[in-house]
Amino acid sequence: MSTTPFDWSDDQQEIRSLLRKKFATSSGTEIARAALEAGEDTGAAARWLELSAEIGLAGLTLPESVGGMGTGRVELAIVGEEMGRALVGGPYLSTVVLAAEAIVRSGDEDAAQAVLPSVAEGTTTLALAVAETSAAWTEPTTRHTDGRLTGRKQGVVGLPGADVLVVSAVDADGHTSLYLVDTAAEGVAVTPTPGIDPTRPVATVDLDGAVARPLGRPGRAHEVLAFVRENAAIFLAAEQAGGSRTCVTVTAEYARTRIQFGQPIGTFQGVKHRLADMEVRTAQAHSAAVWAAWQTPGSPEAALGADVARSWNSRAYLQNAFDTIQLHGGIGITWEHDAHLYLRRAQADAALLGPLSAEHQRLAANLGTESA
Amino acid sequence: MIDIDPSTSLAEVAARARAWIEENLPSGWPVDRARLEADWYVLLGDSGLATPTWPREHGGLGVAADAAALIADELARHDAGRPMTDFPGVALGGPTIIAWGTDEQKERFLRPLATARERWCQLFSEPGAGSDLASLSTRAVQQEDGSWRISGQKVWSSFAHISDFGLLMARTNQDVPKHRGITYFLLDMRLPGVDARPLKQLNGAAEFNEVFLDDVVVPDSARLGPVDEGWRVGITTLMAERSGLSGRPGVGPALTDALARRAREVGAWDDAAQRDRLVEAHVAEKVLQMTTIRAFVELGTREPGAEGSIRKIAHSDLEERVARLGAEIDPFGLVAGTADAAEATHEFLSAKILSIAGGTSEIQRNIIGERVLGLPRETDPHVDKPFRERPRG
Repeated sequence: MSTTPFDWSDDQQEIRSLLRKKFATSSGTEIARAALEAGEDTGAAARWLELSAEIGLAGLTLPESVGGMGTGRVELAIVGEEMGRALVGGPYLSTVVLAAEAIVRSGDEDAAQAVLPSVAEGTTTLALAVAETSAAWTEPTTRHTDGRLTGRKQGVVGLPGADVLVVSAVDADGHTSLYLVDTAAEGVAVTPTPGIDPTRPVATVDLDGAVARPLGRPGRAHEVLAFVRENAAIFLAAEQAGGSRTCVTVTAEYARTRIQFGQPIGTFQGVKHRLADMEVRTAQAHSAAVWAAWQTPGSPEAALGADVARSWNSRAYLQNAFDTIQLHGGIGITWEHDAHLYLRRAQADAALLGPLSAEHQRLAANLGTESA
Repeated sequence: MIDIDPSTSLAEVAARARAWIEENLPSGWPVDRARLEADWYVLLGDSGLATPTWPREHGGLGVAADAAALIADELARHDAGRPMTDFPGVALGGPTIIAWGTDEQKERFLRPLATARERWCQLFSEPGAGSDLASLSTRAVQQEDGSWRISGQKVWSSFAHISDFGLLMARTNQDVPKHRGITYFLLDMRLPGVDARPLKQLNGAAEFNEVFLDDVVVPDSARLGPVDEGWRVGITTLMAERSGLSGRPGVGPALTDALARRAREVGAWDDAAQRDRLVEAHVAEKVLQMTTIRAFVELGTREPGAEGSIRKIAHSDLEERVARLGAEIDPFGLVAGTADAAEATHEFLSAKILSIAGGTSEIQRNIIGERVLGLPRETDPHVDKPFRERPRG
């Protein structure tokens, strides 16, 4: 792989065009709308299996040792951008970006071999259950005693649907560690809590003495989750860049064709300039996500890239989603128009890892301390 | 010429440029710069490092924009690059002459440009032709002997008072619509009838000028590109300008780091609201740096296009934001005129320059809307009328 950001290999370009073609016919907005109206997405598992079988989506970034294709974050960001563009949801974020990353980074080979091969095939999906009272991954109150977990996890993305959970908990020695739990096991209760974005299910998980298998060495949860968070920040930033891009495309098309005062509304500077600002935001969101994806995971550059991309892209997508509604006028504020589906995703993406103040605090810590 | 060509890896480009600079930079630089710079710029120009993207046959290295950026970084690190006064010539004049010039023009102008023997300015804007540049009315009339007689007034011409040549657009045909009757000239600023008068800017500096042209006679060999097709030639210059005014392609400490350092010194850093505004400006600066890297990789050796407008807007927004924050974190210093606030005062008063110079942000938004997003063009009700029938003001 080239070490120069933006110097795409032929394989990477091929992956992008394959995904774009595939997702173009996957009716992301129709699925989102149906899920929103039904309160659940009943076809998610079947579609996931099909995507994994047809184009190997589940295994694309997983290690070759578990049956994956062994690609990295650049490919992950490509998937993110294309999913964001087409508003594709489903188990990818929860399974591959979050939980599988935790299993890989835990260094627990046995766990990886036990779980990930069927993940790579698309037959098993996962969820990461670490958030409790806020979206930020604060210290858990869930306890681990005698091989069993007790506690409550909220905002768990990928549930209902996930087969295996990666759970954070504190053990008797006060170590915060990660564990694997089967969702079908006794003592696991899943209560769906549909959030603002219908494309990915969310639930509360109550663990009442659920049997758990340790993942990796005890006390390493924070170290592993730092990698997972960075991975998720970059994936979400890519998704936000893709979503911002669709907002621009859809709105520019509308501005070219909607006639008022005898001419396309895109002729007017009030419309044209707002759209130009949407483009400026989006072009930079794409740069930020891709640049971050190209850095070595866990390096200072990757941390900087993830924080910058998360901050910029969260706002960019939200603003573009709002501007899309504004420039569509009356139709934009209807249930019938798709604009609110992007707004929902934009807000969910922005909120998923907790408030941006965490990113800003990390950036502030280094700012103005080194000499130019 | 230095041993760098389009096949040299980026890491090698940086290493070889650095080694060459360290070996050749005269001792006493930069303290004794005034005495040494003329010879140094000749050496630098002959090495190809002053104009790396120019083709090899014209004294450049023929490398892509990303390699050129690394060379510029190495020169900046040693404070050994060409000054801003040379930007119009090297960054705008050179590429325009390479794209449109005759063999004689390339032979005559490129080497003196590369070696800093001649300085250039841009003679585009006029009092009646600002954002609507194509409505310019400086006239060039061809004489019987083929020479041209030029009269009119130009404005906002940076460094014109100290330039040897100017990139000039003039009206040569009044009987066709505005874009189709313009011709581009390479004007000798030392000719009789050329009068450049510095204009003092709001920050007190006098970098740009108004330039009066009064029956200036130039030979036909001063014409760049075909008669009446100067608008197309001018677009080459304008695209290079937008792209060139968009910052360096590297992710590293820059404006907001210096700003934060000062905020820490003056105590503003302890104010959470001010700190957060600084961090947000920092984020904006980083994404622009990342975008500039992307633009340079994607650009390769092509001429810059409309996407340069995206970076120009982002860059001018950032400059304005940083300048205002610089005043905000030390309000008393600016009011009381303390010595260490002098630079912040100057920056504050310079905050609006970049969003106007090189095409206003409004014009850049039109360009993005029309050329990137395919929105309908702004309608000029007189666009098809011959120039002489246009209302002017």
